[in-house]
Amino acid sequence: MARRQLEEINAGSMADIAFLLLIFFLVTTTMEVDAGISRNLPLKFDPPEGWVPPEVHERDVLVIMANSNDELLVEGKPLLLEDLEEKVRAFFLDNANGQDNNPDMPMYRNISGAICQKNVTEIKALIASAPNEGMAKLYEGDLKKWEGKLQTVKEIGDYYEISNSSLIQLKNQSNTSFGLYIEVQDILKKVVNDLRNDKSKELFDVEYKDLDPKDEADAAKIAVLQILVPERIVEAKIEI
Amino acid sequence: MGKFNKGKKKGIPAVNTSALPDIIFMLLFFFMVATTMKEVDMMVDVKKPGASQAEELQDKDNVDFVYVGFPLDAAEGTEPRIQLDDQLALNYTQVADWKRLKVREGFAIHDIVTSLKVHEDVGMRIVSNIKEELRNIDAIKINYSADKTK
Repeated sequence: MARRQLEEINAGSMADIAFLLLIFFLVTTTMEVDAGISRNLPLKFDPPEGWVPPEVHERDVLVIMANSNDELLVEGKPLLLEDLEEKVRAFFLDNANGQDNNPDMPMYRNISGAICQKNVTEIKALIASAPNEGMAKLYEGDLKKWEGKLQTVKEIGDYYEISNSSLIQLKNQSNTSFGLYIEVQDILKKVVNDLRNDKSKELFDVEYKDLDPKDEADAAKIAVLQILVPERIVEAKIEI
Repeated sequence: MGKFNKGKKKGIPAVNTSALPDIIFMLLFFFMVATTMKEVDMMVDVKKPGASQAEELQDKDNVDFVYVGFPLDAAEGTEPRIQLDDQLALNYTQVADWKRLKVREGFAIHDIVTSLKVHEDVGMRIVSNIKEELRNIDAIKINYSADKTK
């Protein structure tokens, strides 16, 4: 009988408190998820004494120009945004079998363990006899590249590699809209990701996006894929 | 029939509201989990472009945000402006100083991502100037903010 006499706690204002908290969170927070396309800007580069700029063949460069009216000029010809993906794909794939199928697109060459070894020794000799610190640093960069390639050969055997002066150049004008710029960047990223994904499935039987850069074995695979499908984008200064 | 009329005299019983707090708490928890704190009060209008390859930004504590868009306050004119934290920058050269001041202890300047949140109609000149400023101080990691699309 004593139990019945216990009074119920009045929970009526509990709802008010909860409402207050709810409204506080509604006001101070946002729903949006921060997403975007990550890029690294090129490092500043002061050419050291004795530096010779590498030879760049015209066929190795894909020039994508976007003018102030948001029109595209690719390799000197007007192109619709819808057709850009195909063009970029062709840039990577037309000569991917090592043959000279399309004289306007970069060549591929065969990379074998012997070639890597030869280059590694040659560059080591160059580092030893480098005239100044700046040049030595540049050679060390080259050495790293060749060691990476050697590692790739160890992982997957001989492979075809796109010409190492191949690059995609973006040119914009003052009033090119940021929206168009992002669309172009998005297409470039999409093609590279797709091609890496194809290679990843072919060689390692996993999706590229499932590889975890924090995992050591996966990181090695990512390094290989990055060598097979390099993403070299250069942005020209805006002139007008 | 008198039996049925008996209750009516007492009036309509109060609705049981004891479950109301539970419902509100549920809503509260939903919002706490699904949303993030606002970084700043926006002074410029930023309509982000869409991109299919956009990836979610990781480690948001080590990201600085630069907003570029059209001023919401008409007194500031109609030309695109740069917002750094809670202030409109006078010009793009302020970006480098601002970024330098924001370096966190234990991090090099190139470890901290700069996220550019830019309105899609803004011209590339201003974006390019900001990038040049960032490059000059070695803040080379950047992220172009975009909404994930299919």
